[in-house]
Amino acid sequence: MPMRHTIPAALAVAAAAVALPAHAGKTLDAVKARGQLVCGVNTSGPGFSNADSQGKWTGLDVDFCRAVAAAVLNDASKVKFVPLNSQQRFTSLQAGEIDVLSRNSTWTLTRDASLGVVFAGINYFDGQGFMVPKKLKIDSAKKMNGATVCVQAGTTSEKNVADYFGANGMKYKPVVFDTAEAITSAFFAGRCQVYTTDMSDLAGARTKAPNADDYVILPQVISKEPLGPSVRRGDDEWFQIVRWTLYAMIDAEENGLTQANVDQQKATNKDPGVQRFLGVSEDTGKLLGLDKEWAYRIVKQVGNYGESFERNLGPNTPVKLPRGVNNLWTKGGLMYAPPIR
Amino acid sequence: MGGDAAWRARQRAKRRRDWLIQGAGALVLLALAFLLARNVHENLGARQIKSGFDFLRDPAGFNIGELLFDYSSRDSYLRAFAVGMSNTLRVALAGIVLASVLGVGIGLLRLSRHPLVAGLCAAFVEVFRNVPLLIQLLAIYLLITELLPGSSDALSLEGFALLSKEGLQVAVPESLGPSLLAVLAAFAAGAALGYAAAKRWLEVGAGLVALAAGGAAAIVAFLLAGAVAGWSRPVLDGFLISGGASLTPEFLALWLGLSLFTAASIAEIVRAGALAVPEGQWHAALALGMTRRQAIAGAIFPQALRLAVPPLASQYMNLIKNSSLAVVIGYPDLVSIGNTSINQNGQALEVILIIMAVYLSLNLVVALVMSAVNARVTRAPR
Repeated sequence: MPMRHTIPAALAVAAAAVALPAHAGKTLDAVKARGQLVCGVNTSGPGFSNADSQGKWTGLDVDFCRAVAAAVLNDASKVKFVPLNSQQRFTSLQAGEIDVLSRNSTWTLTRDASLGVVFAGINYFDGQGFMVPKKLKIDSAKKMNGATVCVQAGTTSEKNVADYFGANGMKYKPVVFDTAEAITSAFFAGRCQVYTTDMSDLAGARTKAPNADDYVILPQVISKEPLGPSVRRGDDEWFQIVRWTLYAMIDAEENGLTQANVDQQKATNKDPGVQRFLGVSEDTGKLLGLDKEWAYRIVKQVGNYGESFERNLGPNTPVKLPRGVNNLWTKGGLMYAPPIR
Repeated sequence: MGGDAAWRARQRAKRRRDWLIQGAGALVLLALAFLLARNVHENLGARQIKSGFDFLRDPAGFNIGELLFDYSSRDSYLRAFAVGMSNTLRVALAGIVLASVLGVGIGLLRLSRHPLVAGLCAAFVEVFRNVPLLIQLLAIYLLITELLPGSSDALSLEGFALLSKEGLQVAVPESLGPSLLAVLAAFAAGAALGYAAAKRWLEVGAGLVALAAGGAAAIVAFLLAGAVAGWSRPVLDGFLISGGASLTPEFLALWLGLSLFTAASIAEIVRAGALAVPEGQWHAALALGMTRRQAIAGAIFPQALRLAVPPLASQYMNLIKNSSLAVVIGYPDLVSIGNTSINQNGQALEVILIIMAVYLSLNLVVALVMSAVNARVTRAPR
């Protein structure tokens, strides 16, 4: 049952604010002492984070949480997933209820600069789009004047859609729900002519339609939505670990290291870059407060970025998203990670 | 008289001591509040979370689906909150009226000797009082959005009213301002006439007669205004139905849900009030030759009202607070606007404070009005 959690979350922030100031730089120690990483994920984001009937979490964002656990705790399974709606997510991170927020959240200036959180990188380059029922015969976002638009509360989408319709001199009526589930049920029931959110979410929502072919996602992309993990401000060590976990996944793909071949590569590959990455030669982990095999474990236990993408979002999944701009920079995409050395 | 002076001195000393103790208590509370506020401020600062109420003047940047007055995404957060508050007030007022009418009616009908009527009313009360409001709201909303046809083949009442997934649209007279004035004037005139007539020819029930007469006059005036000025009928225009007055599915679901849920409780309050009137009053009324209906209207209901007004006040307050469940069905009330604001600017504490202050003030107003009503109905019998 989707309930409202904003107020409890806000009260949690209030409680945290009333308590004594937290000491910076303690997240790594806390995670190690707990023996578990607490990771905030989406309540339901097909391809990003989704719990199956056995309660097993899968998704691109979920894999990222596991990668952090593999690097820090030597075990990708030592993660407690906390499903959060879009309104709870930052408050939950601010209040210290989670260690990492990995919940397809857009990196914006306001969020980075005024919420007490800091984004560690981008794990999916997204953009906001529109989905409409095919029978309305709308082929362009410019033909939506007067439409009723379903949108989720507490997302960047709410503002983008106002900007887009305003800039194009069109009118619309927003209907704002607080969970993705409420929106999809209202949209598929026909309450709104248009559902707007990030393209990847639209693709995921379409898989939940009674008949996916009745709906079409319009080609227009009206915004940049760089999605990525974020951490609390004021703990630079922890921030570095989270950021370089993401870079390690991307660099692993670039170096051709996969879950399947990483052991063999570790034994035989004489490339100094690969040896450094896998901790055979230098100890890069020491600089992060980790051990030398941190990156090896990420690849071994979770896989590289491309593997995670294919497993959760790729053509063989229900979401069926093309790799597109999320391909490596060497293959015409935008995924680029600084070198691990 | 020395003893008297000593007694007065002791009283003065006691009063002074009481004041001192209470003053000290108040000071401690104030100091605590101050400490809390300062601690919150410092800690938010230390965590680099923005705080303060300056954001209210910034442009809100989001649109709102239901407006009682002009608002666009370029307007300030303050105006957005005003829109949210007006939406909360609208559904709360409409809910209080409908819940009262339904509740009183059903409460009295439950006393009927006719088993079918009494049984139906009992069933209504049990169903709507015992199912959580949240579930009722979701169910009503689901029914509206799933069962009603799309806007292109809306259910139509001769073009005067359309019912579809876009909600309920009703034709209204052109030149709405003067027409509304005419309707209000007709209501006042009808009510005054009805009241005077009832006072003259009837023993009891003048208030109800006045309401009914006013309502009838208002409806006649509405139809006349439409006939004279012409009707603005709802018509399908692209995706949207334009023209006429519109109630969205979200408003309808929330209004109905709140009204039915609260009506069930009000019915019980009215019934309890009626049953609490001593049996002797019944016998006395019937012995005086009143019919059963007259006895209810003239003897039982006025006395039941006295018992019912205080719990009625808390039902009204509950209704206002329950209207915050609007967020689950997408009605843009104060809490929904607050949620959106929190997520646009991250200033949760400030927004929650505003929301709490608004609900507190609304309910204090209800408490004031209801205690005035209570003072009136508990006057010594004429």
